Amino acid sequence: MIQLQKISRHYPVGFGKNYILKDIDLTINEGEFVSIMGPSGSGKSTLLHIMGLLEEPSEGQYLFEGERVDRMNEKKRTQLHRGSIGFVFQAYHLIDELTVYENIETPLLYKNIPASERKSRVADVLDRFNMVAKKDLFPNQLSGGQQQLVGIARAIVAEPRVILADEPTGNLHSDQAKVIMQLFKHLNEQDKITIVQVTHSDLNATYGNRIIQIRDGHIQS
Amino acid sequence: MLKSYLKIAWRNLRKQKVFAAVNVVGMGTALCAALLLSLTAYREWTFDNFHKNGKDIYQLIGIEDAGGQLRTGSSMSKPLAVAIQKEVPGVKHVTFIAGSNVPVRYGTNHYYLSTQLVDNDFLKMFTFPIVKGDKNNALQQLNQIVLTARAAGILFKDAEPVGRTVELNLNGKWQPFIVSAVASDIPDNSGIYFELLTRFENDPEYNATKNDWNASNYPLFVQLEPGTSKTSFEKNINTVVKKYYKGKIEDLQKNAVVGNNGKDVFYLQGIALKDFHLDANSTFYSGLNKFYPWLMIILATLIIGIAAINFINLSIARSFTRSGEIGLRKSLGAQNGQLMLQFWAEAFLLCCFALVLSLGLMVFLLPYYNKVFGHHIALGIFRNIRVIAGTIGGFFLVTLLAGGYPAWRVAKLNILEVLKGKLGLGKSNGMRNGLIIIQFMVAVVLISCTSIIWQQLNFIQSAPLGYNTSQVISIPLDNATPSDVATMKNRLTEMPEVKSVSGSMLNLGLGKDGSSGNWTRGFTYKDRHVNTQYLAVDYNYAKTLDLKILSGRDFSREYGTDSSAVVVNEQMAKQLGVTDPVGLSFSMGDEPPVHVIGLVKDYHFESLHKKIDPLVMTLNAPLNYIFVKVETSNPVASLKKIGTSWKSINELAESDPSFLDENAQRLYRQEQRFSKIFMSGAVLAVIISCMGLFAIAVLVMAHRRKEIGIRKVLGASVSGIVLLLSKDFLRLVLVAVLIATPAAWYFMRRWLEGFEYHTSIHWWVFGIAGLMAVCIAFITVSLQSVKAALANPVKSLSRD
Repeated sequence: MIQLQKISRHYPVGFGKNYILKDIDLTINEGEFVSIMGPSGSGKSTLLHIMGLLEEPSEGQYLFEGERVDRMNEKKRTQLHRGSIGFVFQAYHLIDELTVYENIETPLLYKNIPASERKSRVADVLDRFNMVAKKDLFPNQLSGGQQQLVGIARAIVAEPRVILADEPTGNLHSDQAKVIMQLFKHLNEQDKITIVQVTHSDLNATYGNRIIQIRDGHIQS
Repeated sequence: MLKSYLKIAWRNLRKQKVFAAVNVVGMGTALCAALLLSLTAYREWTFDNFHKNGKDIYQLIGIEDAGGQLRTGSSMSKPLAVAIQKEVPGVKHVTFIAGSNVPVRYGTNHYYLSTQLVDNDFLKMFTFPIVKGDKNNALQQLNQIVLTARAAGILFKDAEPVGRTVELNLNGKWQPFIVSAVASDIPDNSGIYFELLTRFENDPEYNATKNDWNASNYPLFVQLEPGTSKTSFEKNINTVVKKYYKGKIEDLQKNAVVGNNGKDVFYLQGIALKDFHLDANSTFYSGLNKFYPWLMIILATLIIGIAAINFINLSIARSFTRSGEIGLRKSLGAQNGQLMLQFWAEAFLLCCFALVLSLGLMVFLLPYYNKVFGHHIALGIFRNIRVIAGTIGGFFLVTLLAGGYPAWRVAKLNILEVLKGKLGLGKSNGMRNGLIIIQFMVAVVLISCTSIIWQQLNFIQSAPLGYNTSQVISIPLDNATPSDVATMKNRLTEMPEVKSVSGSMLNLGLGKDGSSGNWTRGFTYKDRHVNTQYLAVDYNYAKTLDLKILSGRDFSREYGTDSSAVVVNEQMAKQLGVTDPVGLSFSMGDEPPVHVIGLVKDYHFESLHKKIDPLVMTLNAPLNYIFVKVETSNPVASLKKIGTSWKSINELAESDPSFLDENAQRLYRQEQRFSKIFMSGAVLAVIISCMGLFAIAVLVMAHRRKEIGIRKVLGASVSGIVLLLSKDFLRLVLVAVLIATPAAWYFMRRWLEGFEYHTSIHWWVFGIAGLMAVCIAFITVSLQSVKAALANPVKSLSRD
């Protein structure tokens, strides 16, 4: 599903280059649950951003579902964001001015889905996450764990093929983290969604079925 | 989608009240001011536009060139009108229009009605609808009059006016006239105003001058056949002029055979009806400078611009605090266009509130605006579809500029940086600072212009005019009979406070009757053409006005020969080529020669806009004003006493007497209005700029909370922090002052050049204007910076 071939990312320093990622070769198949681990500054977030098409690689090729996407134009990239890729952020990134319901509905608005279908899909997701009672609350009225649940609900409502999660439990305590990780496992096993997460925690990494260690821009294992 | 945008916009506004208030109030006030100003400009530009034949109607003016000295005159002679009608091809109608206030009597009551003496063609040329009576025969007979509906109402109350007989007092005699028709009231955007129309032949001097080519007394108007061009008409008419004014042209050619730019020394020109209102040579000139409407538009644009800058700066600054939302939306698949639309929708919503506010404000302020600035704008102007379209179009343009630019900036942001929260207020500083500088530049230019205009007004109002302004009262005589005038003069000499009595054909300054004029004469002296102003005065003129006699004497009853004597001023002496002209004699045209008995020091008998012209004073002409010099401790009482006395002698007297200093002030009403508008514009600009600065300061302080907290913990003093926070803004204002000063200096120098006598521009004006701007800005920013500096650092630090 995701194929990275000789991917590098660098930025200029003086007359030379400073590599964040160097010659990354990585294949992630459909249905996998991959955890990317590594110390701070090792380049794991950059790798995730490149996978999510938020950042362009300096060198190398990236094939998403067999299609080259590393030099894709803005419009096509937007299409992938709308349909195939879902994001979950460490800082949740919910829109403060929108209610839980409206936050979850937003991606569907960008996909131009008709109102009635939007309604039923948001209702389904709310039901599944046991958040029906909270649908009219604003993000600042929720706890961190609940906010992240909304973040995940928003990521899956558009039915993406892959979810990219950047330290999804980084701001949460261990009980809340456990709930989120179990949810990810469930989504992976039941809904067959490919999941790639960046994490610091060895415990969280065990929920996945593959661990990629990254250090100084190189994949260790 | 749009619903969702509006919803989020609404919630955002409620959350950020300072931002919303600054934008709505600032934009609303600016829109209101701009609306009022542009409506005023629109009104001035569309004056007289309701005449159906308007594009074919012209007023004739004559231009004389006496050796580089150009003189423009709007008075034409009666035989010329006949010749134009008969000999110039393409002329459809011709009419004189001569205006005056005429007393009208019906029963025992009399009223003054604003009267125009016109030719039969008048009603065919101009579109003044007749509501009663027959339009084609309304002015067929010499004894017919046309009234407006309002005038008919005053005279006859509810009775049928057509066919009734009223009496008009022309030349001191009551004469009967028959009302033939009633016209609807004159629209308020008409330069030509009348309450009563009657035939031009009723002019008291008509018979004496009807065959005199040189007696040019009244303005002449023509309507051309449709399709006749102005150029071909002017060519044809000047052929006729050359035929009939041979003598005059030869006389003028003594100074120079060919005039300026190779033009003839005497020729006629047409002023189109649409230009009457703003062309100083037209009889129906409003007194408004041609650039005045443009000035309004410029001021409107500046004010809107300042408000739009606030809008842009605040929107951009605030959208960075919403960077998370923007990045997130992008990662959810929002296209740049959609984000732009969202942010523009928010701006549009704000602008809509501002528009509603501005319309409300306008309705509320309109009467006050009209009163203070002497404009006449009615809300009815909004019935005009073009005004509505213009307002809506302008509004969309403003929202597009004010909302579109920030939206574009926001949509363009790099998604990753936004998500990581790397973007701060810092990144847009260049643009933001530039815009703040522009705002304060405009404010400083307006402040310094206001103060220079004010200084000039002060200067011309306190400048010595060369005659006694504080002790002399001028009494407008309207159409009093000579015997009434004589009685009044006798009565005046009996009053104890009266020191001296004289009179003149023309007022000094502008009296309560509001009329002004001049009489220019040209003649040949020693083979040179000389132009001079000609003024009929009464005995003791110089004594009453305290004119300084440099040589010779004043007119006096003690000398029998004064009827052929003249008194001249220094400029005239220069024209005659001598320093002391007393004893000289010269002949003005075909008249018997006059001899000079006195030379007076130059005095400002016209406004300070103009240089002092050569002047010849004589005794031979009817007087229109009595001048009385009084010596009293209670001038108000004396003025009242003299006014009452005059009313008792001439019960038809319409205008009250006034002191000459008051008259002199009245000459500069336009400048006073000008200064008021500038002052209001400056105040508004400063207030709106400061509102923007305040809101930006709020955002910056919020952004730097943590920094301030850390600095305080490290031991920074409150004053040090205030200085640190205010410094950045003050630097911007200083730059603005530096750029604005030369600009203001340039504009004001150009404006002052319009006055022959003007004050000089002092450097300290700009110093004070700049200092004011800096102080106001400092106070505005301090409101926030002091608060931020005093805040407990523990609070701001524990947040993160």
